[in-house]
Amino acid sequence: MLSVRSLVKIYPGNVCALQGIDLDVPGGMFGLLGPNGAGKTTLMRIVAGLLEPTSGGVTLDGEDVVAHPEAVRARLGYLPQEFGFYPHLTGEEMLEHLLRLKGVEGPGGVKQLARELLERVNLSFASKRKVKSYSGGMRQRLGIAQAIAGDPRLVIVDEPTAGLDPEERLRFYRLLAELATNRIVLLSTHIVEDVSILCRRFALIRDGRLVAETTPSEARLSLAGAIFEGEVGEEELDRLRRTRRVTQAVLFEGTNRVRIYAPEEDPPEGFAPAEPTLEDAYFVLMQSVPAVSLVGAAGGRA
Amino acid sequence: MSLRRAWTIAKAEFSFNAKRPLFWVWLLILLLCAWGMSTGSLQIGTGDSSVGGKKAWLTSEFSQSFQFAAVGLLFYGFFVSIAAGMSILRDGETRVAELLHATPLTPAEYVWGKTFGLFLSFLVVTAAHVGANAFFNHVAVTGTDAEFLGPFALGNYLLPPLLFGAPCILFLAGFALATGTLGRRPILIYFLPVAAVLLCGFFVWTWKPHWLPLAWDRVLMAFDPAGIRWLQRTYLDVDRGVDFYNREPVALDALFVWSRLGFVALGLCAIGFTQRRLAVVLRGAHPVRRGASRFLAPERSPLAPTSLAALGMRRGATSFPAQVASVARVELCELVRSPGLYLFGPLILIQTVGTAFTRTGAFDTPVLWTSGLLAQGSFNTLTLLLCLLILFYTVESLERERMAGLASIFAATPLRSGAILVGKTIANAVLCAALLLATLLACGIVMLVQGEGRFALGPFALVWGLLLLPTFVLWSSFVACAWTFVKSRYTVYALALGVLLLTGWLQLTGKMNWVGNWNLWNAVTWSDLAPLEMDRSAYVLNRVFALSLAAFFLGLAVKGFERREPDAVGRATRRRPKLFLRSALRLAPLALVPVVSGVVLALEVRDGSGGGALRKEAHDYWSANLRTWADVRNPGLASAEVELELDPARHGLRSRGTFRLVNDEPESLARFAMTTGPHWEDVCWTLDGEPFEPVKKTLLHVFRLERALATGEALDLGFSFEGSFPPGISKNGPRASEFILEGGVVLTSFSPSFVPVVGFLEEMGVEQENRTEPRDYPPDFYVGKTPSAFGVEVPYPVRVTVCGPADYVYNSVGVKTSDTVADGVRTVRWESDHPVLFFNVVAGRWNEARREGTVIYHAPEHAANVPAMSEALAAARRWYGEWFSPFPWEELKLSEFPGYAGYAQGFPTNITFSENIGFLTSARGDADAPFMVTAHEAAHQWWGNRLVPGQGPGGDLLSEGTSHFSTILLFEAVKGLGPRIGFCENIENRYAENRQADSERPLTEIDGSRAGDETVTYDKAGWVFWMLLQHLGRERGLAGYRSFLEHYEGNPDHPVLQDFVAHLREFAPDADAYDAFTRQWFFEVVVPRYELRDAMKERLADGSWRVTANLRNAGTGTMAVEVAAARGVRFPEGEEQGVLAAEPGGDEDPYQDARATVVLGAGEERTIEIPCGFEPVELVVDPDALVLQLERKKARAEPRRSASM
Repeated sequence: MLSVRSLVKIYPGNVCALQGIDLDVPGGMFGLLGPNGAGKTTLMRIVAGLLEPTSGGVTLDGEDVVAHPEAVRARLGYLPQEFGFYPHLTGEEMLEHLLRLKGVEGPGGVKQLARELLERVNLSFASKRKVKSYSGGMRQRLGIAQAIAGDPRLVIVDEPTAGLDPEERLRFYRLLAELATNRIVLLSTHIVEDVSILCRRFALIRDGRLVAETTPSEARLSLAGAIFEGEVGEEELDRLRRTRRVTQAVLFEGTNRVRIYAPEEDPPEGFAPAEPTLEDAYFVLMQSVPAVSLVGAAGGRA
Repeated sequence: MSLRRAWTIAKAEFSFNAKRPLFWVWLLILLLCAWGMSTGSLQIGTGDSSVGGKKAWLTSEFSQSFQFAAVGLLFYGFFVSIAAGMSILRDGETRVAELLHATPLTPAEYVWGKTFGLFLSFLVVTAAHVGANAFFNHVAVTGTDAEFLGPFALGNYLLPPLLFGAPCILFLAGFALATGTLGRRPILIYFLPVAAVLLCGFFVWTWKPHWLPLAWDRVLMAFDPAGIRWLQRTYLDVDRGVDFYNREPVALDALFVWSRLGFVALGLCAIGFTQRRLAVVLRGAHPVRRGASRFLAPERSPLAPTSLAALGMRRGATSFPAQVASVARVELCELVRSPGLYLFGPLILIQTVGTAFTRTGAFDTPVLWTSGLLAQGSFNTLTLLLCLLILFYTVESLERERMAGLASIFAATPLRSGAILVGKTIANAVLCAALLLATLLACGIVMLVQGEGRFALGPFALVWGLLLLPTFVLWSSFVACAWTFVKSRYTVYALALGVLLLTGWLQLTGKMNWVGNWNLWNAVTWSDLAPLEMDRSAYVLNRVFALSLAAFFLGLAVKGFERREPDAVGRATRRRPKLFLRSALRLAPLALVPVVSGVVLALEVRDGSGGGALRKEAHDYWSANLRTWADVRNPGLASAEVELELDPARHGLRSRGTFRLVNDEPESLARFAMTTGPHWEDVCWTLDGEPFEPVKKTLLHVFRLERALATGEALDLGFSFEGSFPPGISKNGPRASEFILEGGVVLTSFSPSFVPVVGFLEEMGVEQENRTEPRDYPPDFYVGKTPSAFGVEVPYPVRVTVCGPADYVYNSVGVKTSDTVADGVRTVRWESDHPVLFFNVVAGRWNEARREGTVIYHAPEHAANVPAMSEALAAARRWYGEWFSPFPWEELKLSEFPGYAGYAQGFPTNITFSENIGFLTSARGDADAPFMVTAHEAAHQWWGNRLVPGQGPGGDLLSEGTSHFSTILLFEAVKGLGPRIGFCENIENRYAENRQADSERPLTEIDGSRAGDETVTYDKAGWVFWMLLQHLGRERGLAGYRSFLEHYEGNPDHPVLQDFVAHLREFAPDADAYDAFTRQWFFEVVVPRYELRDAMKERLADGSWRVTANLRNAGTGTMAVEVAAARGVRFPEGEEQGVLAAEPGGDEDPYQDARATVVLGAGEERTIEIPCGFEPVELVVDPDALVLQLERKKARAEPRRSASM
């Protein structure tokens, strides 16, 4: 169980990144969803033992991560949002080095394990090439390979599918799903689809606060009968944005396909009831809770 | 090009620099430098150092130019290079570059904008530096005498930075910008300033052998980015007088102007090149190698994923050593790939080997290297270079993960922080070790090329292993610790460079001691005979201190190494003194050893021979006794008998003896004093066999007699004491003129090292603060009886018995009358077979080389020069005996002692030589140092021992000047004309380089108190005696010298130069001419300088040639001088010296010359005409080196063919 209690993080300059987060993650895949600057990365770095919180606590299976960050590192697989590698090592050499630093081995030794991990992430063809010649997606895959190495109790992945093509994204989903079977995987993303596909539960974070913690199906269910969809022109769209709660507006063949949230009032003319999606729930939840800062008037920050 | 956009870039660059710690630290260093310079630490060596004499102004344009040129490269070079080199690179690292170049900003605007911003920043710093200079010199005067300060002149402060600083800065900045932008490796940026400082400091500014052709000299001047060599060679090396330097502007010549413009052009070209290359790089154009695959292999289609569980991964705890090894391995791979290694490495090798081949020893001659001397000789260079390399590489190592973007992943692994630091440190250490090994190999090559001496690893292991490596460990840990806390590479550079500069400053100003000397700069002295014996405890304590401090820094670094970004806000609001105390307590054990070792070392320094306690004792001796005892007449020594027990292994001695003191003055003697040494313990005195307790006034023991000693009456003074010598350790590196070491012993009666000294020693306890002006003698001081310059008036018999370990040889003055060994103890007795004025004891484990009444005692491994020295010693005994007076003693010995002191001394029958003089000087080159030094010291058997000069000005010249003169004669007699000419030119050049034109006094007034007196005493005096011989004629002259020696030997009236001149007048064929000669050379200060102009040659109808030229004496003095029109090689190398080249009719051009003699006074010029039977190639003034002159090399010309031909 990963437990977060009253976690606060204030950066110098009175920038409040987290305003008291309480969270329990028993196991499996858990999503952290929120816009840029919500505080997701700050939360993940604190959980990974890379950032000291201002106050609050984090425990992993009863061990205090804040007081003893080194305790979590032995059981951690971490893939940050932005990262790089030693440019002059090959992919295989780089992975071997990280495996050794983590103390991870396979039956055939570190080298064999590195080759197999690279195969898992479809990097075997480039294993002998220097990392500096890798594309962005290849680097991402190498990062994933090192994150899943060993038997981490806790895997933290921050925006992991950035830079991956759709095929690779699916491949990665399978890997993560397998990993989540008997461990905690904390997935941070602003792509709602990732959460809807992978996560049993997720939390919505905005301006450093926990807006909601639920499951994808519960989130959709909460909007049952309240989502309506129709097609409107530009002027009508502007009017709807001012008068209604628009959850999505997608340009489709020259017109705007709009979905609105109308739990109590009648929908506009031409709008029909639609099946709620997780995106609808995301936008409804994001729009419904005003931002309140714990210290002065400041924006949140991720 | 848009100036607006370029200005935007420039503003941003300036604004960034204004906020960065690097610039503020740099500014602080420059301000401290300005303050330090204002105290007069660095000034032109001219003027009169005596009180009231003219001084060189710190505020003159020359002084400011010299200061700015000196500090420009050192204090500006690194900072400018780092700022400029990282300027564009930084934008790449912060990933701003792509955004910038996606705007309309062009590469030209970008690069020149950056350049302009940088130079604005440099301008502000320079302006502050110059302002501080002026402020400290004219407003906040810092304790400097007013006589060092001249009037304020704005030009004196503006021109030096413009002429000397700006081109250097532009050059370095341009190249650093190019290197950083195009190489994209920070380490390359550091290479240029390091290379520039080293090449200039160790070569361009200092390498000035007298044989260097003028053309090469000018090339070096042109290639000096700081302009120091030009300033030195054009204006400073030959002293032009303090008025000149104080008032005249620095007049530029074409060479300097072109050189400055050249460096500006190079800098600008480098910037232009950067701009062009950047434009290419931004377009993505890359050269394609022939044959290289142009297309990457396509990605394979994805395989069906298999379960992760099938991989069977397991995670276990990794041991600390394994973690360290992992980090070290990868770090080493990165370091090996770094191009900096392949630049620094050769630079280190070139510097080490280059220094070995260009460094000169005694008398400007090449050194004969041994392994130990090579290890010590390269110590300072290796320390500086490898410390710089460690600084740059350690910081880059610690920054590597952040720069690669791997920091988060790296920090999230279970790797221990200590493993990271230790692993990276080890990788850097391996790198340094590799460079050391390469340098070791280079040293082996040096020995191989030299062809003499055996290469041994032991000295390198001692000096580099035990002394050098701890420095690197300490420095690495300090840098790592600094980085851990400041987390900024530039701030670490600034701090570390500040530490290096501060260390250098303390060394330069003499404030350094063993405690602060963390890098042992200038503190390592090697002796093959006694390796690291002196100050051994200081070395040990210092290295323990260094290593323990390294452990402390490392512990601090590990403690402070934050894997997790700290919460600044929380920590500021939560005050936890307990936490802080707990952390401090945890580090306390690590701090214990450095604190204890540092304190112990400080106490040893305080109590040691260079420390405060003994200095105070010596100062008290001086202040308590000066007024009472300075001019008191001492009793004479009628005889001396000494029994000395030596324990070289413990530096110990036990001495007892009897001095027979006689009152040889007309008045009775009621009291007398004896000086003892600070190392004397358990001192006992007797008078005529009865115990006596003198009054002790610090180190002076005053004997008040119950009954005054009548004239001619004598008493026996007995003494005994024991102690160890030298006492304790030095202040900052072993330097002692006498010592007892396991490797060798040298003790003299000049100081109270093993026997007391009769009377008060005026120089004991004198330092800069209490130095008095020399005594002003009346013009007729020498009339009547003149006392001896050496304190003892009348020679006396001496008997010295020395005992010690049986494997030593013990030498003293006179004849060995017994030598027995019993129970492992050797007892040797020496008795003087002819009275002496002073005596010594020297001991060692030696081999002997005997020849014709002479013997040389030398270390077995120092035999290379012994044949030459033996030849000189035997020849000296023979020829000096023939020329001056037969050698009165039975045997003449020469003994070698460890090189902790670099001198040779001519005690009667027992000459002592430091191993670094004669034994370890190369016999290559014109000077033939082994022969030269031996001949000089052997001459002291006559001049100094038998002819004792009088006390007063000019006296010492009758000992040293005559010995140099004797050496000239011996060179000619043994080696031939060519080597004699070479020696004469050698000492003439030394005189020219070291003289002080403004304060030079006539020979008869030289008392050794002023800068420049030494070269007059030795070199000029030697020349004058040589010229006098030419003037008198050889036979007459030698007869005069013989007569002079005979007259004054044993004479209670000791001669000075006036007596010499008067005595030799009787031997002059023309008294008036003699008076004219001696007046200008002994009683005035003259030195000619000849210039040849308009040299032409014309073939006459009869086939002969006529050479004409205009000869001018641009110096002073009136001398007859020969001018030779010559062709051919006069003294070919390898042929018998003195023999003209080749036989007539041979393939080679035989030497011929035709001569004319002309007499020129000061400023006079004359057209000379020389008829020749051959076509001359060169005109040479004074071809046989018979007239002392300045700039002899310029007194040559190649005559052009006359237009009429």
